[in-house]
Amino acid sequence: MHILLIEDDVQAAEYLVKGLGEGGHVVDHAATGDDGLHLALTGNYDVIIADRMLPGREGLSIVRMLRADKNQTPVLVLSALGEVDDRITGLQAGGDDYLVKPYAFSELLARLEALTRRSQPMDLQQQLQVADLVIDLRRQSAARAGQQIRLQPRQFRLLEYLMRHADQVVTRTMILENVWDFRFDPQTNVIDVQISRLRNKIDKDADRPLLHTVRGTGYKLSETP
Amino acid sequence: MKLPRLFSTTAVRLAFRYTLVYLVVLGLVLGAFLWTTGKQIDARLETELERELSALSKTQAQYGNTHLIDIINRKLTAKPESGRYYLLVAEDGSRIAGNLLAWPDEADITPGGTVQTEWFDEEIIPGDRHGDDALLPAIVSEFDDGSRLLLAQDVPQSGPLNEVTEILIEIVGAAVVLGLVMSIILSRTILRRMDTISNTAGDIMTGDLSQRIPISDRDDEFDALAGRLNLMLDQIQLLIKGIREVTDNIAHDLRSPLTRLRNQLEVTLLEDRDPQEYRNALTQGIAETESLIRTFNALLSIAQAESGNHRAEWGTVNLDELAHDLADLYRASAEEKGQQLELITDNRSVITGSRDLLAQAIGNLLENAIKFTPDGGSIRLQVIPGRKTVDITLSDTGDGIPEAERAHVLERFVRLESARNTPGNGLGLSLVQAVATLHKAELLLGDSGPGLVVTLRFPQLGKNRGQETAPTG
Repeated sequence: MHILLIEDDVQAAEYLVKGLGEGGHVVDHAATGDDGLHLALTGNYDVIIADRMLPGREGLSIVRMLRADKNQTPVLVLSALGEVDDRITGLQAGGDDYLVKPYAFSELLARLEALTRRSQPMDLQQQLQVADLVIDLRRQSAARAGQQIRLQPRQFRLLEYLMRHADQVVTRTMILENVWDFRFDPQTNVIDVQISRLRNKIDKDADRPLLHTVRGTGYKLSETP
Repeated sequence: MKLPRLFSTTAVRLAFRYTLVYLVVLGLVLGAFLWTTGKQIDARLETELERELSALSKTQAQYGNTHLIDIINRKLTAKPESGRYYLLVAEDGSRIAGNLLAWPDEADITPGGTVQTEWFDEEIIPGDRHGDDALLPAIVSEFDDGSRLLLAQDVPQSGPLNEVTEILIEIVGAAVVLGLVMSIILSRTILRRMDTISNTAGDIMTGDLSQRIPISDRDDEFDALAGRLNLMLDQIQLLIKGIREVTDNIAHDLRSPLTRLRNQLEVTLLEDRDPQEYRNALTQGIAETESLIRTFNALLSIAQAESGNHRAEWGTVNLDELAHDLADLYRASAEEKGQQLELITDNRSVITGSRDLLAQAIGNLLENAIKFTPDGGSIRLQVIPGRKTVDITLSDTGDGIPEAERAHVLERFVRLESARNTPGNGLGLSLVQAVATLHKAELLLGDSGPGLVVTLRFPQLGKNRGQETAPTG
């Protein structure tokens, strides 16, 4: 991926450039809002990471300018402002996702992946398939190797979300946000329990597991671990 | 109190303004009074002049000029100061009798007419008359022999009318002076009262938050204001105390894990180790920061709920749906411990609030219930609509909280002895309390014998249900 990082904290930017580079991405870094806006308008990026508090120009104003210019590059807004309202303001300004500092690098990476994949249309599909696991969106049914799997409605939504993001790492917060529409930080391992129940249903009798745990990050539905 | 400051006070400025308005009104009243009184006096003069002229004309017609001259002279000697002027001239205009020295040439006055106001030159007026030329009411009659008689009346300068005017002006003057004196006294009083408030404010600004505005026994509006301000100061002091406690708590609760993290990293660096050892140390470090961030986020959520002024994301929240979603999320965790999570809901209990904060609060309660209820116990989440309120209750079959400890557990970072060995940061119930307060809900801890029953009692939005279906516009 070609990523534009707009972040004025030099140390944080250094780590991010390094980390994203080691993940196989090409990163351009802008340290001020004006440089960032210039690069965003002239360059061709897959995704933009924009800090909110920048010298010269606020991160959200960059997003607004981009959208006013009909530039639809996905933007992930980074912020040290943690209030729910700030997240809403960020999304209203045209940001595609919002991450509050301090965040885990793996969380950032997972969300960047999700953002770039999301730009591809996939709403018209009626069936999703990963290996021999197939779900039918219209009938809300799932089958592994031709065997029907009985799922509760919420379990079906969880599986659908994982399948839409097949081969990507999804974090626990992403699952909580997208499947339950909750934006808070559970103090216990609720999501892990949910995943292990789902795993019991789809991987139990199969010789090759599809639902993998990615240590320190989250989960991945994929043919290969 | 310095004088310039006195004159810049609102009281004095207002007093000046009102005095000015008062003066204008008085002036208008006075003007109207003088004008109408003047009119009346004029009318009386006119009749007098007309009557006298007609009497004199009759005398002239009966007895001739000689007799007339005689009467005029007699009148002049009898009342020399009456201000009445007479002039009898022959046909050719030569003066025959009277106290006017000559016929007023400027006067365009026709014989036989009514009383008219005319200009009289100073030179034809006898004696040492005040002022110069005079504008006097006059009337003229022409007799058969061609002689003419003119009657005029000098308006007295110091008549009763002028006396009234003088008195009125004195009253106005006194009123102005009195008004100014009163306003100065008034503003001095106000300034003195304001100064006590202002001085207290100054003391507080220098850091002494315990200062309060002294309240007099007058029980007036200043005392009411001082009372309100003191209440506000009490509240602020309480909040600041709360913030201090939180800061102390944060320092205490974050210091230990931060120290652990730092020591861990330092020890790892002490010797050369194999990569697996480094990896383990780093993984452990990340886990440590994660728990730090978790505590940190919990504190932020509490702060957010307590500040309460960020309500952009507020909307109507269906408590039954919310309870349903939460039960969905936590049921698996309960079942892992062999517990039963039972959900009992009504269909449409709606309140106004923040879904995320409410979810977090009820989520915390569910997490506590799952954590502290023994394996195989049962937990019941219920939404119970009342007449004016709606309750969310969560009851479990755990050990409950002893009554004496119930208020205590709502404070930040408080963990009961019995919970020492379970993971947690002691912030869960503080957040529930903050979210409840934000939503004007009551948080009640009770006994479900055995076990704990927690109730969140929200004011019901139900009264507005009809509006949703009502046509708009």
